[in-house]
Amino acid sequence: MPFTAPDCPAVKGFIETSFVDWKGHLASVLFLGGCNFRCPFCHNRDLVLNPGGLEDVPIEYVVATIRKYRAQWIDNIVVTGGEPTIHMNLFGLIGLLKSEGMSIKLDTNGSNPSVVKGLFNDGLIDCIAMDVKGPLDRYSRWCGLNVNERKVRESIEFIMECGIDYHFRMTVVPFLHREEDVYTVAAELQGAKDLIIQTFRPDVTLNPAFSRIKPFSADKMTEIRANVSDIMSKGKTGEQERSPRLGTVGSEHDQENLYQ
Amino acid sequence: METTDLNLFVRTSEESISGWNRSKIVDALIRETLIDRDSADEISKEVEQMIRKSGIEVITAPLIRELVNARLIEKGLETSRKMHTRLGMPLYDVDSLILHPNKENANVPHGPEATNLTLAEGIKKEYALLSVFSQEVADAHMNGDIHLHDLGFVDRPYCSGQSLEYIKKFGLDLPHSLSMAKPAKHAEVLLAHLVKFAAALQSHFAGAIGWDAINIFFAPYIEGMSDGDVKQLAQMLIFEFSQQAVARGGQAIFTDINIYWEIPKHFVTVPAIGPGGKFTGKTYGEYQKEAQRFAWKLFEVFKEGDGAGRPFFFPKPIVHITEKFFHTDGHMDFLNLISDVASDKGNTYYVFDRGETAKISECCRLSFKLEESDLLDAREPWRMRYCALQNVSLNLPRLAYMAKNDDTKLFNLITERFVLAVRAHKEKRVFMEKLLSLGENGPLALLTMNRDGMPYLRFNHASHLIGMVGLNEMVQIHTGEEMHDSKRALKFGIKAIAHMNLLTEKMRRQENMKIVLEQTPAESTSYRFARLDLRYFSPHAGRIVKGDVASGEVYYTNSTHLNVKHAMNPIERVTTEGLFHPLIEAGSISHVWLGEAQPSKEAIADFVIKTFKHTTNDQIAFSPEFTTCNKCHRTGRGLADTCSYCGSTDVDGITRITGYFTKVSSWNKGKLGELKDRYRNVEFFSEKRKAAND
Repeated sequence: MPFTAPDCPAVKGFIETSFVDWKGHLASVLFLGGCNFRCPFCHNRDLVLNPGGLEDVPIEYVVATIRKYRAQWIDNIVVTGGEPTIHMNLFGLIGLLKSEGMSIKLDTNGSNPSVVKGLFNDGLIDCIAMDVKGPLDRYSRWCGLNVNERKVRESIEFIMECGIDYHFRMTVVPFLHREEDVYTVAAELQGAKDLIIQTFRPDVTLNPAFSRIKPFSADKMTEIRANVSDIMSKGKTGEQERSPRLGTVGSEHDQENLYQ
Repeated sequence: METTDLNLFVRTSEESISGWNRSKIVDALIRETLIDRDSADEISKEVEQMIRKSGIEVITAPLIRELVNARLIEKGLETSRKMHTRLGMPLYDVDSLILHPNKENANVPHGPEATNLTLAEGIKKEYALLSVFSQEVADAHMNGDIHLHDLGFVDRPYCSGQSLEYIKKFGLDLPHSLSMAKPAKHAEVLLAHLVKFAAALQSHFAGAIGWDAINIFFAPYIEGMSDGDVKQLAQMLIFEFSQQAVARGGQAIFTDINIYWEIPKHFVTVPAIGPGGKFTGKTYGEYQKEAQRFAWKLFEVFKEGDGAGRPFFFPKPIVHITEKFFHTDGHMDFLNLISDVASDKGNTYYVFDRGETAKISECCRLSFKLEESDLLDAREPWRMRYCALQNVSLNLPRLAYMAKNDDTKLFNLITERFVLAVRAHKEKRVFMEKLLSLGENGPLALLTMNRDGMPYLRFNHASHLIGMVGLNEMVQIHTGEEMHDSKRALKFGIKAIAHMNLLTEKMRRQENMKIVLEQTPAESTSYRFARLDLRYFSPHAGRIVKGDVASGEVYYTNSTHLNVKHAMNPIERVTTEGLFHPLIEAGSISHVWLGEAQPSKEAIADFVIKTFKHTTNDQIAFSPEFTTCNKCHRTGRGLADTCSYCGSTDVDGITRITGYFTKVSSWNKGKLGELKDRYRNVEFFSEKRKAAND
């Protein structure tokens, strides 16, 4: 098939096969450079601060690889960053991938609801994963610069209502977040399908000081996840009770999964 | 001179001290060797003379023997000296053995039983090399041209596939046992019989004890049991096998259990044996629901892990994925469950039986294709007992050093080594025949017991395995490229294995022996070959062996695998490694090292289905890594220096060494080198991948 590359943002990283980027699917992953947030705990420092210093992956290579695996192995692709929605020509890239027959998942920080809506309206995306950095009322604290919270809120509302598959994710960072902040986010997202709680990884961070922070223990994370799923599920059944079940360890939820 | 003249005491091997008696030397020489009485007499006198001169007062029998040997060498009586050899170990070696752990096999714990095993193995190894094998074969082993596996168990067959039907039908009635049990009437009793029989078998085989279709053969016993009871039974089975470190050397029994979601075609119409060893009047095809219930519960237990949340090391669950699997109700749910276990604990082995082939797997990689005659056996499944007598591996990189880029020479060397390996098999076979011919009064009584018109070990069905180590390095030396570097290098690798495959066919016909290729697990062999080649083929070998030459953590890539360090998309790895699998009849595997990543079960299931459909890969396993804490007894993901729960530094790493999980602290240096190199599929912006666990 002849192929002319449309106007696309530069691809800064490409993983042909990932088991972890799209829950439940094998997927390829495209990384785009640059970001409009400066979250101090961000683990893609170079991608955010110095995308020009990273080598471009030729779009021709991406398309050739997609074609190679598409028939038998992989028909899903995750577009992530950085923040993909800051690129004006994102439509060109995603349109191209879509025309190659791929299903697309977009990772975003929710700062550009109009771009997300545009992609949705054009039928270009099949799943959206949004990182929620913390409670909405202090958003600049979580993402390192002044951010229009109304836009973030608008994205959340749109994602929950638009009808395609979605995930909300939050990375929990000790000292930056208090435990209660996580539950506030869970409460703000009540009624949403899920909120994936991720453990902070101190290996490389945008703010070097954060690389010395010790993540919460595995026990603490289990406890937090259990409380979050409690809060979220109450939203679904319409209960108003919001106080988390502090101090409980382990979740019945895990065991139920086996019987699905 | 009279012998009594000498005022000398001898510490004998019978734990007594005797007076000097020269005639004992003469007796031993005449009894053990081929020399004549006069020469023997003369030697004894010379030795006596020497001892007299030394003025020694107490002497040990071994020293006298060595003095006699010295005389035999002087007289050029080399054959007699060999026959008169004494096997044993220096004091220093025994001392360090008792004090320090054995690193040859990570499955052996350190303790008095383990020391016994190592000491016995040491002597049996020497015995094997002196007495069972010809000089040529023994020398080839000693200098690392080939490796004769498990020489310390030279008086046992290598590994085996067993049938639960045998104990269901005949009960537990072992030769020389204190009591005889009739066929089990209850599931728990059958389980007890199974575990005891497995333990008895483990002391008669060097390697794995595999059990075919265990969930299907248990099915008639669990009819009518509640889900809770079935779960309890599954728990008992797994804990019994994983906990009791009572087999030889304090090891756990190396057990594989083969599990099917569907009832394979060759068992569908087979009459089922139920409680009391009686036919139930139904066929196994009618027990699918029960078999599935048991399989499900087994994996629930694997998912939970042991009391500390660690993966179970044994038994290893091997799930057969067949065409019929995909046409059986509930297969996606089951695939998701076992993939959840694969991602979370790593236990699951996926074996792909494509087309019409039926297979039974055992040992780390070994699987047997069931042949026409075996399918007839399947009508009476208690006959389905298989074994491999021995395993011999070829050191492929060495051949490339020797061939000096000459193709003809290289292939000729492969042929020569292959023929040598076959010769080793013939020698072992003769020895085993001798042991088995002693019947129920011999050392292998258990294997000769005859309950169904034939001996338990069906000697004529026995296989002889030929494996390979370091194909990747052989190609690298010969072509200048590793197999992942170019199509050309890969093709050359395939050509070499195809050549071995052809040799297998030829030798099988020529020798009328069942000779099969297998991927050697080579837990210590890949280290041994690399070390020996560094000694004999430096400096060339220094640029080829993998790992770190400075620290001695060196290894060759296992069998036909691609470089474990090479960053490679798992699709490419299973596809490319899978190209070799159809050429290797006795079974192969591809590893996907997960590191600390924990992919979703659906993604793994998807990958497994696609591997079945679009590759020729025979078997895959996913291997996560764990850190278990000796202080708080909990287990976290990834290999770390401290416990993620309590911060203690008293931790053990756990991951898959070759064909089984074990603690990293017990690994040999070669495997430690490999562990550092393993490409864990967490590439590029890996922090993001690590954080994606939910």
